[in-house]
Amino acid sequence: MKKLLVLLGVGLVVALVACAAPATPVPPTATPPTEVTTITFWDYYGLAATPFTPEMIAAFEKENPSIKVKYESLDWDAMFEKLSVALTTGTPPDVATVDMTWVPTWASLGGFTDLGPLSGGKVNGAPFNEAFTAGALEAMTYEGKVVTLIEDFDVYCLYYRSDLFEEKGLEVPTTWDELVEVGQELAEDTDGDGAPDKYLYGYWPDAFRWSQFLYENGGSILNPENTEAIFNSPEGVEATQFFVDMVNEYHIAFDIGEEEAIPGIKDGRIAMFSDGPYMMGVIKDGAPELEGKWKVAPHPYSKQPGSYLGGTGLVIPVRAANKEAAWKFIEFAMRLENAIGVYKYSGAAPGLKAALESPEVSVRDPYFGDQVTLPVFLEATETARHFPYVRQWNEMYDIIGEGVTAALLEEKTVQQALDDAVAEINALLAE
Amino acid sequence: MEISTGRRIGLAIRKYYMAYLFILGPVVLTMVFLFIPMISSFAFSLTEWSGIQPPKFIGLANYQRLIFHDRKFIKSFINTTIFVILGQGSGPVFGLLSALALNQRVRFRAAFRTAYFLPVMTSLVVVATIWKMLYNENGLVNFLLKMVGLPTTRWLMNPSTALLSIIVTSVWQGFGFETVIFLAALQAIPKELYEAAMIDGANAWNRFRHVTLPSLRPVIVMIYIIGIIGTYQVFDQIYVMTGGGPLNNSQSIVGYLYDNFHYMKFGYASAVAYILFAILALFSYLQMRFLGREE
Repeated sequence: MKKLLVLLGVGLVVALVACAAPATPVPPTATPPTEVTTITFWDYYGLAATPFTPEMIAAFEKENPSIKVKYESLDWDAMFEKLSVALTTGTPPDVATVDMTWVPTWASLGGFTDLGPLSGGKVNGAPFNEAFTAGALEAMTYEGKVVTLIEDFDVYCLYYRSDLFEEKGLEVPTTWDELVEVGQELAEDTDGDGAPDKYLYGYWPDAFRWSQFLYENGGSILNPENTEAIFNSPEGVEATQFFVDMVNEYHIAFDIGEEEAIPGIKDGRIAMFSDGPYMMGVIKDGAPELEGKWKVAPHPYSKQPGSYLGGTGLVIPVRAANKEAAWKFIEFAMRLENAIGVYKYSGAAPGLKAALESPEVSVRDPYFGDQVTLPVFLEATETARHFPYVRQWNEMYDIIGEGVTAALLEEKTVQQALDDAVAEINALLAE
Repeated sequence: MEISTGRRIGLAIRKYYMAYLFILGPVVLTMVFLFIPMISSFAFSLTEWSGIQPPKFIGLANYQRLIFHDRKFIKSFINTTIFVILGQGSGPVFGLLSALALNQRVRFRAAFRTAYFLPVMTSLVVVATIWKMLYNENGLVNFLLKMVGLPTTRWLMNPSTALLSIIVTSVWQGFGFETVIFLAALQAIPKELYEAAMIDGANAWNRFRHVTLPSLRPVIVMIYIIGIIGTYQVFDQIYVMTGGGPLNNSQSIVGYLYDNFHYMKFGYASAVAYILFAILALFSYLQMRFLGREE
């Protein structure tokens, strides 16, 4: 019995070996099958306005047959939450679009890959400092490390109803005093209640708009070391007082508030506002009937031009699984023909310097009365500053908004509102 | 013969293995998606944790700060409590009144019942978005007020009216649920009780006071337990309509929790969640105790 079992066992082993090893060796295939890497890309531009078109992605995949792109479109609002969770749980995408104002929070926590070593400091052969403007490069850099490449930039300029300006014989304001004069000439009280309700300067009481007045008046949010809030300085108080006076004293400004800007633009409540180049695409889609009636100009200032500098960046999360392939994709997106797509499809301003200088984006825009619009924004980047690169920025942003709102609603004096906001932020920075 | 405990369990498993198999799925899901996160969340509430870097143990410091030093949290707690008092003070009353009306032999009763229940079935985000439009500067509310010569305001941007405006929306959206529950309970009250009361000479008010209300008591308590727990967790409509503003005047506890999540303060946000949990546990305990005594 034992012998029989041994024989059976030996037979089984022989049979297995015979199956595993063919009698005649098969020659190896000429080219071993390529392993395909799939990278996940989260994009918040929206399917209708993304520069990352199916054609662009297909072209990338054709050029890189070993890489597939899994494209996922997310809302701008949803991106922050989803990416926060993904970074926390260690399951992030390989590439993502991020608002440049989110960068400090995540970069300070070590959430993004340092693109320097991955790229050798170059994008498509051009050193970063040649491919991007100095302001853009500074915004892309956190503590000496380039953590994002800017896809489109955002800087605020004045949008104004050129048809109304012509009709009323008004010049585009260049100073705050002129802004008040022009605002009062434009504003109309249609319901006779004594408060102008049409052709106003639209705003939101947020850090984006308020900081423009602060910078224009020579103020700063934080000290140069980013350790202390200083916007309750005389410059800050004066700038905020002007912002408040536009609403409560001169009655030329309209808090867009809970609505979007488009309804106010369409029904004529808004005749001027400050916003970034992305708004050109938004306004064209939202109010096509106003073609030829809007133009853009540098925002009026008191002491010096100023704006926040932001936009959209492309990042590789630090826990991304396929960093090399992700970088290849970013580099492909930064090729001139693709970077121009930011203007072509989103109506925004490309972050890549070569794309900004390209004749394809320096075109006359019939919506804006045949104005060549992008140079106006490009010029503003020279004096624009990104928001302070501190981890607490998201919370600071809300505190500033509350301070400005308290002053606008006259719940507090301007000085008191700013002092309280500064104290709260300083406590936060000290944590 | 004495059967050992192990053997008894073995027999029970063999006898009911199919039942255990059926409940295994839900038990595992509840453990994974409820109990384990709850325990983890409590552990995180004792830490300072950004979500990316390792958590740092700080004991009860988050709780201490929230309760004694965080004016925004206190404000969100007060706002939520106002929401509960006004919302629960009016919603179930409207629900009861409409149920009493629908309990009569009215024409198109089914149509009315459907109409009252329709907002309950509609997504809260949709309801909030529509009401946001109604409340805006050129919205229907101001249009109607202007028509009758009353002053208008920007309801959601005015610190004095923002919270109240959201409460009105929530009551409108939710009272259909209470209507349906009350209606079902009203229809279950035996007719004999009313007949006996009428023989005793009770008028309509006395019949309501001494027959209807006592019969509805368990349903009323159930509605308030569900309502208070639900309202303390209010978030969606506030997020859509005001984002908690202006000046945190409409901020709720869950909204504040969300903000802290947004600030990447996961430890602090977990502590907010646990304080909310304690509030809800306390209310549930008090109500259950009250219900128990009544019964």
